[in-house]
Amino acid sequence: MKLSAFFRPVALGLLLAGAGALPACVSVAAYQKAYLNDEDMKLATKKVETPEVNFESYREGAGGANGGKVGGGCGCN
Amino acid sequence: MRFLLVAGLVLALPMSALAQGTPTSNRLDGSGPPAAASAARLAPASVGETDVDFISSYYQQNGDHGAVEGGIGTQHLTDVSPTIILNVPLDSVARLTANVGFDYYASASTDRIDQVLSSPSSRDVRYHLDLGYSRTLKDKRTILGLGGGASKEYDYQSFNLAGSWTHGSRDGNRELSIGGQVYSDQVTLILPVELRTGTTGTGNQKHGSGFDNRQSYNLNIVYSQVISKRLQLAVSTELVTQRGLLSTPFHRVYFYNSAPELGTPGQLGTAKTELLPRLRTKYPVGLRLNYYATDLVQIRGFYRFYNDNFGIRAHTFELEAPVKVTPFFTLYPFYRYHTQTAATYFAPYLAHSTADEFYSSDYDLAAFTAQKLGLGFRYAPLYGLSRFKTPFGDRVAKFKSIDLRYGHYWQTTGLTANIVSVDFSFVMP
Repeated sequence: MKLSAFFRPVALGLLLAGAGALPACVSVAAYQKAYLNDEDMKLATKKVETPEVNFESYREGAGGANGGKVGGGCGCN
Repeated sequence: MRFLLVAGLVLALPMSALAQGTPTSNRLDGSGPPAAASAARLAPASVGETDVDFISSYYQQNGDHGAVEGGIGTQHLTDVSPTIILNVPLDSVARLTANVGFDYYASASTDRIDQVLSSPSSRDVRYHLDLGYSRTLKDKRTILGLGGGASKEYDYQSFNLAGSWTHGSRDGNRELSIGGQVYSDQVTLILPVELRTGTTGTGNQKHGSGFDNRQSYNLNIVYSQVISKRLQLAVSTELVTQRGLLSTPFHRVYFYNSAPELGTPGQLGTAKTELLPRLRTKYPVGLRLNYYATDLVQIRGFYRFYNDNFGIRAHTFELEAPVKVTPFFTLYPFYRYHTQTAATYFAPYLAHSTADEFYSSDYDLAAFTAQKLGLGFRYAPLYGLSRFKTPFGDRVAKFKSIDLRYGHYWQTTGLTANIVSVDFSFVMP
């Protein structure tokens, strides 16, 4: 089985799960966000991870979508 | 699949009218100019305190598919990249951000542009500076951001402008962020030594035949949503259009056949410099899902689907499981899986025909699977690791936390890489 054939339903499932979760969400008050405010719950790339993201965007043609090899630099060769 | 992506965005956008407050980046990968601060990061407690992060990394890779030699050369490369990130609140509603640093890299493959191992192209330094300004509007839920920056290295300079708009919902459970960047780059055309038509020029011209340009336009949209007290997600996309020179002029391509206009084939075969279309569009979409499973373990998940007009289609999964060994000491193992199809214009060494319109033997554009496995730790005591007086008056700064991680990366092409990065975080009063 080709990998793309395997990942297609996985991707579909994730997107559907995400879309399905939106209407199911509950209203969480500010004082109830102790867990959500945890450092590891941030919905962003960690600063210390940035160098890895940069080299992956050079080494993978599909990487990052961050403007391609904008600015050149590490790994562009 | 495209329909689903479009449908997802269409569903998400109307909900953005209610948007707000979770800390999101307005880019999929956190790179580029500083983003506007999230509403959640503008807590009154932080007003007056400047965050300073010293980030440094050491990266080394090895492989035997270097594009400079047409897909058969060394890919050995080392890179050291110290960076300083500043986040300075000007008052309760405005702040400045700055990201300044450089990459020092040594590349064995670029040494082969001249086929001379001592050529200056074997090492280079890239300097970069990005500045950003963000302001919270009177409604306290909307943040506008503006930014710009530049980077420069031997054969490449880049300028960018950025703008962003972030709006949070009244209850702080939703947030929509829309940002755009415009890049204007200039590339010095450095050709492989045997393919140069004129070698009598001076300065930058002596290695090639002039300059070319590239423009990139990025539009990124991030919608984040709190699902429950322990679960939140973000859906994001970053649409990219690039025009201009998208190939690298010193990448050779060797062909299995010959062409009269190319003359007698050299020792390795008939060669030309890489040629790719001058327009590229990318359509990635990502989903982040963070779950506070227990007081001991959290789960951070990320999936991205990628598609572009070069024929590359990719899937990327990332999973990280931070384990709180103590309330202030966290260990986090992580794993990443990436698979991509080849670009239409890619072929290995001696597999292209001279009749091809576009051609590349750059294995970054090949079909492969990549994996990354690593471990990080963060130590962030409640009152910091230490305090010390700064040279600016008698102010006392706090060494807030240390974050260190190591990752091992490998591709089915044979490329392997190791990277160590560290973030020393400080707070200045």
